[in-house]
Amino acid sequence: MAEHKTISREFEVLNKYGIHARPAALLVKAAGKFSCDISIGRKGAEVSAKSIMGLLTIEGHQGSRLIVRAAGHDAEEALLEIAALFENKFFEE
Amino acid sequence: MAITLKELLDAGSDRLSLELLWGEGRLDREIEEKALNRPGLALTGFFQYFAQRRLQVFGLAEFTYLKSLTSEDREARLRAMFDKNVPGVIISRNRNPLPELRILAEEYGTPLFRTTMITSHFINECTVILEELTAPRDRIQGTMLEIMGIGVLLQGQAGIGKSETALSLIGRGYSLVADDVTEVVRTSGRVMAFAHELTRYHMEIRGVGIVHVPSLYGVSAIRRDAMLDLVINLHSYKNDADEERTGIQPGEIEVLGIKFPYYALPVSPGRDMANIVEATALNYKLKLLGHDAAKELDEKIIGRFLRKAVK
Repeated sequence: MAEHKTISREFEVLNKYGIHARPAALLVKAAGKFSCDISIGRKGAEVSAKSIMGLLTIEGHQGSRLIVRAAGHDAEEALLEIAALFENKFFEE
Repeated sequence: MAITLKELLDAGSDRLSLELLWGEGRLDREIEEKALNRPGLALTGFFQYFAQRRLQVFGLAEFTYLKSLTSEDREARLRAMFDKNVPGVIISRNRNPLPELRILAEEYGTPLFRTTMITSHFINECTVILEELTAPRDRIQGTMLEIMGIGVLLQGQAGIGKSETALSLIGRGYSLVADDVTEVVRTSGRVMAFAHELTRYHMEIRGVGIVHVPSLYGVSAIRRDAMLDLVINLHSYKNDADEERTGIQPGEIEVLGIKFPYYALPVSPGRDMANIVEATALNYKLKLLGHDAAKELDEKIIGRFLRKAVK
């Protein structure tokens, strides 16, 4: 298997309620479509973007900045899709 | 859904102590409106409004009034009612029909019934029976179970493991209502589910064949019927499936025009479906008791995030 380098991007949580259950479910569903490993981290804690319970623990409130890392052959597409969620405020506002 | 006088007589001969006095050959007649009418006002000659599509019930009031009339008047008033082509006439309190009533019923070909019940009790009970007979019903694919008081319909394509899941749940002490084919009927805003009486309490297990559930697991393993509470669909696991991840807003499905919560559960190796179906039913029961775990956790999270949000 070819080694893929890890790509990462920082996002600011824009929606008022932060990464609560509904946005977390959207992230998990988006991440689940890709085979690459995706993690989301904040303040040193890092969790899998494919775990709802994990995403809830990173406390992504409005204004917090999260680092999303993806490693795998479809990492680029995955990051684009996740970026769209953050930019659209998880379709909450 | 229209029912015939014959169906009412069959259903009511015991429960309503209903007997036919005349009209054997006319019992195929349909009752167009499933309600009863007391023709008191019509007998006085008032026909501006008359529920002529309903069965007409003659109680003490009608009898006393008719008896106060002369025989000619009595005949004329009754004739006016029969002219409206009512579906049938029922005499309560086990009274003998007045001669005019009997003669006119034959002349107009209108079946004449009698009950031993008093009028008000008869009307109540007969209305219930008419409702039952005309209730919307259907036969749907799915295995019906009762899990701690929650009626669960398990659906999914052939071979996905509905019966096997049901068998595991029976092993845990829950009850089978119907295997693979479930009859449903809507009664007063709810849907009651039961098995076809021919195959009731039997189920088919692949590789084993047809088994009789109470013989194997005892009578506590079966129930004659149960009210439907939720529908669970077992489907083979697909990664892109649009499945529920938080449980805050479960899907909905209509059964006989009533909406029920709908959960699509992916089946994959290592997932004990009986366990998951049980958890779904118990979680639903918890919701009924006013405790929605997913919602409460979400509210707690949102509350904390709002306090922390960078203004």
